[in-house]
Amino acid sequence: MEKADIQKIIFAAIEMANNLREEDEKITVSVQTALYGQNGELDSMGLVSFLIDVEESLQDSNIQISLSDERAMSQTKSPFRNVQTLTDYIDLLIRESME
Amino acid sequence: MTARNILITGSSRGLGKELAEHFLRNNCVVIGCSRSEGGIEHPNYHHYQLDVASPDQVANLFFELRKEIKYLDAVINNAGVASMNAFALTPVKTFQKIFDINVQGTFLFCQKALGLLKRATHPRIVNMTTVAVPLQLEGESIYAASKSAVETLTQIIAKEYGCFGITCNAIGPSPIETSLIKGVPKDKIDKLVKRQAIKKMATPADVINLVDFYLRPESSMISGQVVYLGGIS
Repeated sequence: MEKADIQKIIFAAIEMANNLREEDEKITVSVQTALYGQNGELDSMGLVSFLIDVEESLQDSNIQISLSDERAMSQTKSPFRNVQTLTDYIDLLIRESME
Repeated sequence: MTARNILITGSSRGLGKELAEHFLRNNCVVIGCSRSEGGIEHPNYHHYQLDVASPDQVANLFFELRKEIKYLDAVINNAGVASMNAFALTPVKTFQKIFDINVQGTFLFCQKALGLLKRATHPRIVNMTTVAVPLQLEGESIYAASKSAVETLTQIIAKEYGCFGITCNAIGPSPIETSLIKGVPKDKIDKLVKRQAIKKMATPADVINLVDFYLRPESSMISGQVVYLGGIS
């Protein structure tokens, strides 16, 4: 799976989260979008729900990885800080799962 | 009404099997799992042979399950092992086995089930604990400690995932005639039963009654609770 495909899945999960949000609370669908931590759009439970959606979309593409991570809730080191770091992290996990 | 999908661990015998048969009688689809083969022949029963403590095997189960079902109404973490021994004489291997199955197994199933539970209308998690926790039974230090961990998991999962509508509760059966207590001497069981407010052995039906209560749609305000049978508190 290419990084662009991973990004599509992340964007779809953002859209899913947006379905439950008011118009003025919608998350911007962009690579730069801060997800969690400083200026992040998601609180801890929002992040959990979002990551479950991402994991399940990956499973629909026959990719079985777990997004649980020791650093998940870290404000500075979390791989879930923004769309870019999450894309890189998923890409890394997919590569590791193929080794 | 669409059929409820219920996942039960340790469903090949004892209480797990009784629970599976109960839900099958009530037109539910039951996904069972255990280390051994299923032992239930029913069109709505689907058995997966696995080790509940194995992260890979549990992940695979949910990966496969997502292809078959769109949501999960309830997860009943029934699989468990007990061991009677003095604390000083308990081998580390026993400690690890008990914590692997009772704690890690419950952890894995709760965690991996969240995605499918989130899609159900009234999602429920039911974990199994023991009266050995409140009674602090001698000879059951490791088993009781593992179930203390399950109780804490239950209460914190209830808090974290209440926002998804998921309730998470636990049941602590008083002694029941199952394979779990077959190694416990009769006089010890008798003594234990005498300490209960209701001085008799429990039956699987008593547990099923409480599971049914937790699973009812009307029980949406019941979460993070640990209920012991026999009037033990």
